[in-house]
Amino acid sequence: MDIFLSAIFAGTSRGAIYALAALGLVLVWRGAGVVNFAQMGQAMFSTYIASTLIAQNYSYWVAFVVALVSGGLLGALVDLLVMRPLNRKRSSSALDSPAMRSTIPVIASLGILGVLQAAAGMIWAAEERGFPTPVNSLGLVINGKIMPFTAFDLFVIGIVFVTLVATTYFFKGTGMGLAMRASALNPEVARLSGIRIGFVRTLSWVISGVASSLAGLLVTPSANLSPYTLDLILIIGFTAAVVGGLDSLLGSVIGGFALGLLVSFVNVYDAPEDIFLAILIVLLTVLIIRPQGILGSKEVRRV
Amino acid sequence: MLEIKDLVTEYGSVKALNGISLVAHEGKITTVIGANGAGKSTLLRTISALEHPRSGSITWKNKSIVGLSPEKIVRLGIAHVPEGHAVISQLSVEENIEMGALFRMRSNKADVRLAIQEIYQLFPRLEERKKQLAGSLSGGERQMLAISRALVSRPSLLLLDEPSLGLAPLVVEQIIQTVNDLCRNTGLTVLLVEQNANTALGVADHGILLSLGTVAADLPAAQMKADVALRAAYLGY
Repeated sequence: MDIFLSAIFAGTSRGAIYALAALGLVLVWRGAGVVNFAQMGQAMFSTYIASTLIAQNYSYWVAFVVALVSGGLLGALVDLLVMRPLNRKRSSSALDSPAMRSTIPVIASLGILGVLQAAAGMIWAAEERGFPTPVNSLGLVINGKIMPFTAFDLFVIGIVFVTLVATTYFFKGTGMGLAMRASALNPEVARLSGIRIGFVRTLSWVISGVASSLAGLLVTPSANLSPYTLDLILIIGFTAAVVGGLDSLLGSVIGGFALGLLVSFVNVYDAPEDIFLAILIVLLTVLIIRPQGILGSKEVRRV
Repeated sequence: MLEIKDLVTEYGSVKALNGISLVAHEGKITTVIGANGAGKSTLLRTISALEHPRSGSITWKNKSIVGLSPEKIVRLGIAHVPEGHAVISQLSVEENIEMGALFRMRSNKADVRLAIQEIYQLFPRLEERKKQLAGSLSGGERQMLAISRALVSRPSLLLLDEPSLGLAPLVVEQIIQTVNDLCRNTGLTVLLVEQNANTALGVADHGILLSLGTVAADLPAAQMKADVALRAAYLGY
């Protein structure tokens, strides 16, 4: 029973991180129509910035805010320096088929991930470093047993819910949110409606960048920081987003928590080596049985 | 007045528009007819800046609009309803309409609300279905929605691309009649692209016949409608 409980707790706190990573992916997918594999690279980069500040005796919260701002800036840079020129180039080349139009930015994002990891390795050297938590990280005590669930985990879960509610309201309840959805779904009709799709896309890269750097800051205390630590989070976050439906914010959070529990149970009852396999099986199963995910919208029939 | 002179637009090495000149007068319906591939859609897409012309000029109210972005052109009062009932299926009916007014929502909220009310009076069926996804509408309703999205921006020039495409004759009649009423009652200038020449010439003031990217005839609509030889030569009936 204690093992079961502790697996649940550990899974929930991991799940919150996966949910944040998945949210970041869904945000840029809904705002710019791109699956961004560079996301966790951006997160790693801004976490390194925070870590450097903390090493120079700035407070955690100063570093936290600077990391979020730099995460947003990095998102804007990715859009302005890579995605936007890429869009311009393709509109006049032979690569301009719908399949290519959606594939090229994804490949480019993989390239950006590589560049960010190499750059971080050069700037900060590739050695691992620790990263602090802002609140008490002693385990919760139940029946005299220490559970793998801390005040920090509660803090992370709280942040996930605040982010979910804020982004959901933003998309459904504000004009900018509508503009963002319209630009991703049909850029041409959006432009003809007077929406400045360039600005809207950059903004969605910024918001996603902030959400991702948040995920980076919150996951690193439990994983140590190196240029490659967040790779696994990216893969699990991506799977969570797909399980949730890729275009559903709530779905991605549910997917995140579900995968957190899965990872935790495999870890406790089976073996840590099988985590990767279990995730792959979930990803394939969802893609085959329910490609639109738990809450994703089915492609609406077009005439 | 919309004035186009010697307009050339190319897709790669293909000249879709090969030196087109025409005028659309304010408060009138000008229809552009012609067979498939004559360049009708390209003409509208070049006016709204979705395509960039190689040469030639487009002036609206005596100001050149070549080189502006589509977002900017909407703000000048030119609204384009592209071919194929262009709505966003995954958004609700209400959101599709609102989308067309987002750019002036902050500066003129009261008028946006009024414009939306007017649209629901014009197309009551859209108000009944306002919470539904646009993808669940019938073809006719979708075309009404596409036109509404353009109208909510309060345009003075409406570019309408094949509104009759794939619709039942009765629905086509209703949509064309609505556009006609709008033009007559509010002074809206309309540039109507149609393959259905009879219907278009029936409501238009002026007709422009395109063939292979050039203007083959430029006549008052009634005169063009009556010209059997012209229609036989270019439209096949």
